[in-house]
Amino acid sequence: MLSETPAIDIRGLTRVFESRKGFLFREATRTEALRGIDLTVERGAIFGLLGPNGAGKTTLTKILSTLLLPSTGTAMVLGHNVVREADWLRPRMGLVLGGERGLYNRVSGRENLRYFADLYGVPLAERERRIAELISRVDLDWAADRRVEEYSRGMKQKLHIARGILHRPEILFLDEPTIGLDPKSAREIRKLVRSLVADGVTIFLTTHYMFEAEELCPEIAILSKGRIVARDTVAALRQLVGGDRTLEAEAYGFDDREVEALRALPGVSKILSEEFGPALRLTLRVRTGETQPEDVRALLPNHPELSVRERRTSLEDVYLDLVEEEGH
Amino acid sequence: MAAAPAQYSRGRSTVAAFRLSVLQFLADPQWLVPSMIAPVIFALVSFELFRVAGPYFLTYAILGAGMMSMWGQTLYGSGWATGQDREFGTLEPTIQAPTPYLYVVLGRVLWNVLSGLIGGLIVYLVILVVAGGPPTVTDPLGFALLFVFIMVTLASVGVVFAAFYVYTRYAGFIQNIGEFAFYIGTGCMFPVVLLPFFTNPISLLFPPTWGLDALRYLSIPGYRGFEWGFWGDLLGAVATTTAYLGFAGMVFYRVERHVLEEGNLSEY
Ligand SMILES: Nc1ncnc2c1ncn2[C@@H]1O[C@H](COP(=O)(O)OP(=O)(O)OP(=O)(O)O)[C@@H](O)[C@H]1O
Ligand SMILES: [Mg+2]
Repeated sequence: MLSETPAIDIRGLTRVFESRKGFLFREATRTEALRGIDLTVERGAIFGLLGPNGAGKTTLTKILSTLLLPSTGTAMVLGHNVVREADWLRPRMGLVLGGERGLYNRVSGRENLRYFADLYGVPLAERERRIAELISRVDLDWAADRRVEEYSRGMKQKLHIARGILHRPEILFLDEPTIGLDPKSAREIRKLVRSLVADGVTIFLTTHYMFEAEELCPEIAILSKGRIVARDTVAALRQLVGGDRTLEAEAYGFDDREVEALRALPGVSKILSEEFGPALRLTLRVRTGETQPEDVRALLPNHPELSVRERRTSLEDVYLDLVEEEGH
Repeated sequence: MAAAPAQYSRGRSTVAAFRLSVLQFLADPQWLVPSMIAPVIFALVSFELFRVAGPYFLTYAILGAGMMSMWGQTLYGSGWATGQDREFGTLEPTIQAPTPYLYVVLGRVLWNVLSGLIGGLIVYLVILVVAGGPPTVTDPLGFALLFVFIMVTLASVGVVFAAFYVYTRYAGFIQNIGEFAFYIGTGCMFPVVLLPFFTNPISLLFPPTWGLDALRYLSIPGYRGFEWGFWGDLLGAVATTTAYLGFAGMVFYRVERHVLEEGNLSEY
């Protein structure tokens, strides 16, 4: 049975961009956006792909949604090859790249939906009713007949999503659906996304926001510099980075000797350093209960401005650790 | 297992693209004005120049100016709409939809040809007012039929141009340089036979050149255009138009493949 195949099955996928700049003196640059991705995503849930800017999230989303060809490797969606079977796949998938672009600004939201309903062959007898339903589902009733150029960013994003699900796709790709939205609009979008899963749609979502992934996605993968550096449930990922406690020490710079001394403390699995304006912050992952904030203070007597705090390791930390390992 | 998805229809997609073009035009119809200025001026100047040469030169002037407006509208409109798709970021969702992009382009080209016709009509009306009466046409029915056919030849060029716009964001730049050359090369402004001999082979690559020459044979007694005469013109127009449409059908598939390889759909 076809529905037994995973929603997404990616093997050894790479993508290289060769771009040339300049007109007379062409200068070639080569970017390895994806460097060997293997990933399987089951049907019927929201899968989250996290990663910093330039990690390759959009590139991967576009390849999966047949808008970009891979350089090597294969990607199967719903059991069909995204390169060779794009014609089979396109009517069954939805894509929301989002942002300010991607809509016809001079016509109304409703007309945008009508146009795409026609391109997807939504049955004519159903078209108007389905559009009206979608418009109220995304809360745009009051603005449906206004020109899109008058829409706010959040309204455009809702329209994007309505467009993406107009033809009732089996799988929906959402590239950063809440980027640039205020907290209230972002919450509405997340609610909408969750309601789609209830309809049986598989969702592949990219985001920068850890809490968003935590809230929506049972399973996530972290992409960094074109590689998947972790893929698991949110709970398991928390365990992965060793240490559920985090100590933060802030001062105007530390020397190497001090950092080495901290590293030697019992249970410290990792130290990250980060600049905060004039200050430097050292973040220590601590595996056990052995090392306390006092121990850290004791090792740094020459810093009157020093502050040390303890907190629980968050998914954000997990993410930063993983991305840091990749040299970001 | 999910139900089979809806089946797209090429015809419906073409109609949808036509409809969207009309809506976009109605939202912002004033662009018709700047595109009319050059043809109207050209019509007035040639009218002044040729009025002494007899009644048929009036036809000649109108044909030139009308074609200029239609040609500009078709070429500009067709390529430009795809260029706009790039700019708006709508090219990606459109390509991602199941309908081949060619059928979307076809709908827009139809609209552009039609709006070009509106432009041609405006030129005609201006001349009518200035000249104080309609021009002399020897075979009005033949004229009308041939005129419609020329619109098809224009459309075929429009489709090929749109392919360039899908292919690269530099298409607009190339077209801007080429536009004036097209007006002259296809005989909108002067009969092609008046041009230096080396431009002839180039202008013969464009279907409207043949069609326009045929139209002049038909409507201007004593007209001396291409040596192969009216029927030769007509044959050439049909052949080149067919070639253009065939070429467009062929390249669109490859162009789409190419942009998916390059990943430049969102560049503008
Ligand atoms: N069309 C293109 N031509 C050349 N390089 C590209 C192109 N598209 C993406 N890249 C490069 O590929 C890499 C991955 O980009 P991608 O847009 O996939 O990252 P992302 O994870 O979506 O980032 P963001 O969070 O900023 O959206 C980047 O280095 C980017 O510069
Ligand atoms: Mg991105």
